[in-house]
Amino acid sequence: MDAVSARFDRTEIGVIIGVLLAMGAALLIFELSFVLPTLAVAGMWILLALGLNVQWGYAGLINFSVAAFWGIGMYSVALLSAPGSPLGFEFGPGVALLGAIVVSALTALIIGIPTLRLRADYLAIASIGFAEIIREVVSNERWLTAGTQGVSIPALLPELATTLDALFAPDAPAFPYRGLVDLLLVAIVVFAVYLLLRRVHLSPWGRVLRTIRSDEDLAKALGKDTYWLKMQAFVLGSILMAVAGFFYAYQFRFVLPETLEPINTFYVWVAVILGGTGSNRGAILGGLTIVAIRVLPSFFIDFLSLDVNVGAVRLLIVGLLIIGIIRFRSQGILPPRSELIWPAARDRGEKQ
Amino acid sequence: MANVAQVLADGLVFSCIIILGAIGLSLIYSIADFANFAHGDLMTVGAFGALVGATELAKVLPGESIVFFELPLSLYGGLVIGMAVAAAVALITERLIYRPLSDAGSIELLITSIGIALAYRAIIQLGFGADQERYDFSSQGPIDWLLELTQGIGGVALTQRDVIILVFTILLVAGLHALLQYTTLGRKMRATADNPNLARVSGIRTREVVLAMWIIGGALAAAGGIFLGIDTLVRPRMGFDLLLVVFAAVILGGIGSVYGAMLGGLVIGMAHEMTILVPFVPVEYAPAVAFALMIIILLVRPQGIMGEAV
Repeated sequence: MDAVSARFDRTEIGVIIGVLLAMGAALLIFELSFVLPTLAVAGMWILLALGLNVQWGYAGLINFSVAAFWGIGMYSVALLSAPGSPLGFEFGPGVALLGAIVVSALTALIIGIPTLRLRADYLAIASIGFAEIIREVVSNERWLTAGTQGVSIPALLPELATTLDALFAPDAPAFPYRGLVDLLLVAIVVFAVYLLLRRVHLSPWGRVLRTIRSDEDLAKALGKDTYWLKMQAFVLGSILMAVAGFFYAYQFRFVLPETLEPINTFYVWVAVILGGTGSNRGAILGGLTIVAIRVLPSFFIDFLSLDVNVGAVRLLIVGLLIIGIIRFRSQGILPPRSELIWPAARDRGEKQ
Repeated sequence: MANVAQVLADGLVFSCIIILGAIGLSLIYSIADFANFAHGDLMTVGAFGALVGATELAKVLPGESIVFFELPLSLYGGLVIGMAVAAAVALITERLIYRPLSDAGSIELLITSIGIALAYRAIIQLGFGADQERYDFSSQGPIDWLLELTQGIGGVALTQRDVIILVFTILLVAGLHALLQYTTLGRKMRATADNPNLARVSGIRTREVVLAMWIIGGALAAAGGIFLGIDTLVRPRMGFDLLLVVFAAVILGGIGSVYGAMLGGLVIGMAHEMTILVPFVPVEYAPAVAFALMIIILLVRPQGIMGEAV
């Protein structure tokens, strides 16, 4: 099956053009030193949304521990590679990434074994409980995580950033290409993951997952080990979340237990259900929306010089978005129409 | 070694708060058929409603000399106001959001309830700020005669307000029991919880039952939140922090069983406070202990103590 080489359909081209236009507009309005890091952060959120989409969109698993797996990724980087970490290893980014992947996969297995057999709503409750425990451990075990003090992290590929600055902006006072390295790396990974998930979704494995999501008894009747397949989706999604955490650690260069607050899990949920459950294009749109929710309220509040709590405004937006999407457009903005069938089969259908 | 009798007494007080939250959550789980993640934040709504109510009443009521069990009359008024506010908020939410979603599945309702929880908390934070609030009355010492009476077992220090929490919880639970067992509405509620479709074809107006359930669940949740606020602090996150412990109680008791929720609340509340007796486990991990219990219950007996076999 040549899923990877399958042509991009019209909506996909539309989305890409839209994103490029938005980036262009952002460049015109804001400064480069703001746009580049912000886009890099958007790439990080897109990875989180793609990860949750594998779990909820493909396999129908209600995972409310996104922030915990994200945290595993960022703390793997902090604890394995930062000079200031209480463990003091100072490994390179490669080891940190490997650590993030291994720890998140093992944790997903440990959580999945008792919970994936249970009813869907039990996984929701158990996973949010698990996320809260991880947050408690990270806040309280100072010997391991430095607690509420947080950990600073060195730059990813510092030589590359210096080279870019020397090349393009030797005289600039601030480093306008500060975010470029982050953006490039995260963009490459997002693109690779997108292609991989496209392929995976169209593969027999993806087809069985879709069957499980819509009718688990049917999948069982067909002789599929639904428990093990759900576990695979859970582990794959969790690894993607940890990879997002890896990028977060290098983009912000500082990690705190506060980052593991459940609100961040709900941002990712908004991204997936707003974009369209099961739709990877939707996850990309959703990731960009999260950045808008996080950035725009402070702009408006500053602009109108209002005296309100920005955090509460964001919380309200996320809450109302969840209610509004489920109420008025439960399929999301970019539902996975064409992704659900084989592109070749659809083309044949059109010709007839 | 900590004083076991004291820990048991503290556990009893904390259990009251969990029981009040668990009853409503279990009712909603059985009748509306979804895990309501907004229930914890409904407890917060009640706690803030009572705080505002008590503060406003204190300005109107003649003198703060009218005191029962060392607490001003305005606080008892606040309790009623808080319960009414939470019941009203629950009803409005049902009318505006859940009713139009009546075709949605339980998973969609679950996700919606998360949005509602965030919206409740955001509105509270916009109104009161993200910081903690405190009732404006002096702290109380332990009751002397109780301390003396229990000298033999290490002494139990409970304040007057702990006793009030216990007494009011017993009254509310007894009232609910009477409602469920001896009134027509109670019989309808039990029938609907047991089998909604059968109840509907038997001529029960399930709509009425659902509204009653939201009012009762909301008011009891509010009472739990208010008691926690009197006992400690009133914070925008207080209800959410309790939510998992309350879920643990509901799952332990068996989803849909009101009496199971009471029993589960007692066990989980006790376990939460008894963390202090467990060696090598710091007190910060009390919610984690409740959660671990929940996982074990899910593995061993997912239908809970009082639930029917699934």
